[in-house]
Amino acid sequence: MESNKELKYVDTNPAPRVSKSTLTKMIWRSTMLQASFNYERMQSGGWLWAMLPGLEEIHTNKEDLATSMTHNMDFINTHPFLVTFVMGIVLSMEQLKTDVQTIRTVRISVAAPLGGIGDALFWYTLVPITAGLTANMAIKGSFLGPVLYFVILFVAEMALRYGLMYWAYNLGMKAVSMITEYAQEFTHAASVLGVFVVGALISNYGAGTKLGISIPNGKAPIVIQNYLDMILPCILPLGLTLWMFYLIKKKGWTPVKCIGLILVIGIVGAIFGIWAGSYTPLVPVPWKVVA
Amino acid sequence: MSVIEIVLLAIVTFIFAIDQFSLTEIAYRPMVACPIIGLILGDVKTGLVIGGTYELMMIGNMPVGGAQPPNAVLGSVVAMIFAVKAKMDINAALGACMIFATFGQYVVTFTFTIMSGLMARADKAAEEANPKGITQVNLISCLILGTLFAVIAIIAYVGGTAMSEPLQQLSKNASWFMGGLSVAGGMMRFVGFAILLKIMLANDMWGYLLAGFVAALVIGNVKALSSATLLLVAFIGVAIALNDFRVTGLNKKVEEGGFSDGI
Repeated sequence: MESNKELKYVDTNPAPRVSKSTLTKMIWRSTMLQASFNYERMQSGGWLWAMLPGLEEIHTNKEDLATSMTHNMDFINTHPFLVTFVMGIVLSMEQLKTDVQTIRTVRISVAAPLGGIGDALFWYTLVPITAGLTANMAIKGSFLGPVLYFVILFVAEMALRYGLMYWAYNLGMKAVSMITEYAQEFTHAASVLGVFVVGALISNYGAGTKLGISIPNGKAPIVIQNYLDMILPCILPLGLTLWMFYLIKKKGWTPVKCIGLILVIGIVGAIFGIWAGSYTPLVPVPWKVVA
Repeated sequence: MSVIEIVLLAIVTFIFAIDQFSLTEIAYRPMVACPIIGLILGDVKTGLVIGGTYELMMIGNMPVGGAQPPNAVLGSVVAMIFAVKAKMDINAALGACMIFATFGQYVVTFTFTIMSGLMARADKAAEEANPKGITQVNLISCLILGTLFAVIAIIAYVGGTAMSEPLQQLSKNASWFMGGLSVAGGMMRFVGFAILLKIMLANDMWGYLLAGFVAALVIGNVKALSSATLLLVAFIGVAIALNDFRVTGLNKKVEEGGFSDGI
């Protein structure tokens, strides 16, 4: 990710429609979305792997394939069962050789909101209902319980993956060809949405980063984080993101170097019981650590 | 104790460890996993009962929004070992397995943290247009996660209930390290955000970044709305983006003189 240079496709002629067998391959590969899940880029490794059959078919020259693979390694986090929706949209944009910047911003803007929908649909609704129906069968000793449980959920999952892929791909093709006239303006608008969504991610995903210092003070312990919240809630996630942005953009740090720095900050902070969490600091400190 | 049981147990644990985040994301659930482990340990009936009971326990303790609840894979494996091999009753086995489930959570945090380091390798493969490199990164990651889980399953099988005490001790002594690691894990996403910002953030867009930050804060703190925060924020974002598109589009038209004759 050393690309300060603007990424652009060399061959800007739209590629032919991606074949059905490739789409099917991508749908099955999408099950490995979280294969290399990690805290820095989340699902990007699995995302790129799932996109690869389509990308290889679209970008026949190596330089464009490299460009496409590079920007498909961006941070992404979405719901694993709904990911094919994002894949379909991005694939259609890749096929029509849309401006790389636009693809990047559309991808994060579509991916991020899907997480909540998927959780509500699947983990809060379908799984509890199915479990409620089948758990007692299992407890009574029937094999039908686990079999039904697996079949219901797996069929629902794969049907979603299939349906969303085709729907999104066709939808994307229609939308993308419409916006080519105002490509530059569309890129700007998409970037506005992308930046807006990243701002939301900072406070939505980052809220776990808090100070845990609680100074004993009779019945009303002094919790430092509460004072920080009075200045600006989520000030630490915002500050840390901007700091990392500064290091990467202005100081030319690589992501790996930033990760190293964060590891040190996290562990040293835990040694002295500065960060929130349920752990005992290594060094005895005069305050309590709260979550 | 039988070697075949150990080998089979290690293999299914390896698969379930991967399945909890990839593959079907359903087979690892206690409801399905416990009967399969029961088959290996020679007591399917107990597997079905523990599976059903554990599954009901887990409703309301789902792996949503990146939160890591006590790990269901190691919970299932160890509860089954305790119930079948140590002849504990179902509830006691489910209680005793929790320290292992907590350990599973540590293993997951650890893997997700160190896998951040592999992203540099994936970036390099991407720049070289080398699909095999991407496959490798994913394989290595699955291998690390699966192996760590399989090893703990073997320890639980061989050490049995005697392992609970040392594990409890270890988890207490190493708590600062695991605490620090999970804090760092929680902060690593800021690097991912920073890279996104480096790409997208033009100088005229700082306001939008802060506006998005605030919108998510406000909506996220309203209890009735919080689970749909990002979707609701995206709706606002779409309105702003459409307006931006209209304004810049109009500017373009004016520049091209498209309006001059009409007005």
